[in-house]
Amino acid sequence: MFDRKRSALPFLLPGLIGLFVFYVIPFFGGMYYSFTDGSYQNAFVWFDNYRAVWQNPMFRLGLKNTMFFSAVCTPLVWVLAFLVAMLLNRIKPRGAFFRNSVILPYFMPSCAILLIWLVLFDYGGPINRFLTDIGVDRVSWLDGSAMRVPVILLFVWKNLGLAIVIFLAAMQSVPEPYYEYARLEGAGFFRQAWYVTLPMIVPSAFLVFILCWINSFKIFKEVYFISGAYPDQSVYTLQNYMNNMFEDLNYQKVTTAAYIFAAIVFLIFGVIYFIQKRLQKRLG
Amino acid sequence: MEKRHIATRFALTLVAVAVLLPLLLTAVYSLCAPSEIKEYMGTRGNYNQDQFMEIKLAPKQFSLSQFYKILVEDEAVLRLFCNSALYTVLVLLGQAVVIPAMAYALSRFRFPGRDALFFGIIMLMLLPFQVTMVPNVLTLKKLGLMNTIWAVILPNCFTPFYIFLLRQYMLGLPKEILEAGEIDGAGTFRCFFHIVLPVCKPIIGCAVALSFADCWNMVEQPLTYLAQNADKMPLSVMFNQFSASPTGTEFAGATLYILPALFVYLYFQKDILDGIQLSELK
Repeated sequence: MFDRKRSALPFLLPGLIGLFVFYVIPFFGGMYYSFTDGSYQNAFVWFDNYRAVWQNPMFRLGLKNTMFFSAVCTPLVWVLAFLVAMLLNRIKPRGAFFRNSVILPYFMPSCAILLIWLVLFDYGGPINRFLTDIGVDRVSWLDGSAMRVPVILLFVWKNLGLAIVIFLAAMQSVPEPYYEYARLEGAGFFRQAWYVTLPMIVPSAFLVFILCWINSFKIFKEVYFISGAYPDQSVYTLQNYMNNMFEDLNYQKVTTAAYIFAAIVFLIFGVIYFIQKRLQKRLG
Repeated sequence: MEKRHIATRFALTLVAVAVLLPLLLTAVYSLCAPSEIKEYMGTRGNYNQDQFMEIKLAPKQFSLSQFYKILVEDEAVLRLFCNSALYTVLVLLGQAVVIPAMAYALSRFRFPGRDALFFGIIMLMLLPFQVTMVPNVLTLKKLGLMNTIWAVILPNCFTPFYIFLLRQYMLGLPKEILEAGEIDGAGTFRCFFHIVLPVCKPIIGCAVALSFADCWNMVEQPLTYLAQNADKMPLSVMFNQFSASPTGTEFAGATLYILPALFVYLYFQKDILDGIQLSELK
């Protein structure tokens, strides 16, 4: 640890300048916009913008859908990644092919996969054919609220990889004898996962959870790929709302919406952080 | 004791097939003749209850003419591809200047406000793009950079997640190696370039791969920052227009776009696992 204070400065400076210029200063500077009406006189209107945005049906729709997507995708990615990592951990150090193939999609551009997605989920496509074969009615995946399914699956496909990498790294620290002991006691795969692995990797599990959540808030790409810039109501995300406001050059609305969303995000992560602290205390 | 784990292997095979299938199909379809693909894509959107699309697992006739078209005859795809490459290279260069140095300062120095700064970076990391794009745009407007390539590049050079990732790794480095450097008379710069950076190779490789994946798949930023400059769009944004008006060459475009990402992953795969495993991600 270096104590010389000034010597840290050259290392910090490029990053600090960038962070302040592009993020910190405009973040606080932009608050001014959210309190004015954007007219010629630019009158100060207190919380009118906040009230207007909060009551705007499109903002609410976007917020609701974004929340819906993250509430579905986060647990889905988390659970799937945990299970796959458990399986991979069982056969380590072999299984490199399986490991690579499940991690690979994180590094693939999902935009290039879109075309296959459109084929797979077409009304006459392979997935509907499979559904008919097992005796279920076809679903029109690319219209209306059913469109959420391909959007979510594309997101899960893409984001599983990083979560698996982090889980795998954490599972290295669980000593092998613990599993053997659990097996002797007659614990199956799921019991081992729940009672042996999970308690030992709580911090990493939280990290994965939070990273998944951050990523799933950003869901928009997938929607844009599948249904274009003006999507159906059921997949209209907050990003769509923001983009539309940008096109109108409505900075008052955009900044206000951003601050409302930031407040919601911090609230959620505050709650998660609090839960984590409580849980760790109980386990420790 | 040698165990076979038949059930485990079976389950993993299912997962791997499901995950790899889209990639494999894209590659297979790129080897079909353009007319064949055009016809096949034309059978989409048929709502007749009794009809299905055929399931295509191999080209009728193996052909490279899709690739020939996009690489030689028509340069539109190639130009967009070059845009993508340009953005990715410049963002990675920018990050190389900013991020390791900042992580080094945050992990190896004691200065007032350090913890507050790190806390700020974590907060920034939590904010989704919808929120951070607003300050970005305000600055870009002020600097007159909207609708130029710098609008996409500059804000991306400071991604807080990679600062966090590198810092966590550097925290875990044994302090003896730096003390040894100091005793030998190395200053902070020499320690950084000759000790810390070489030791951090796994996490830097990991961060490069992750950041490459981000840039290569960038959609939101160009869509908002380059809205009035369609020539400058990266290829990632344009796939959705290819699908609207099939040209028969879109799968070759997709395959072309996947290949660099595949190479990056294969090159850095060991770093990705080691880097994450050795950092204190808690």
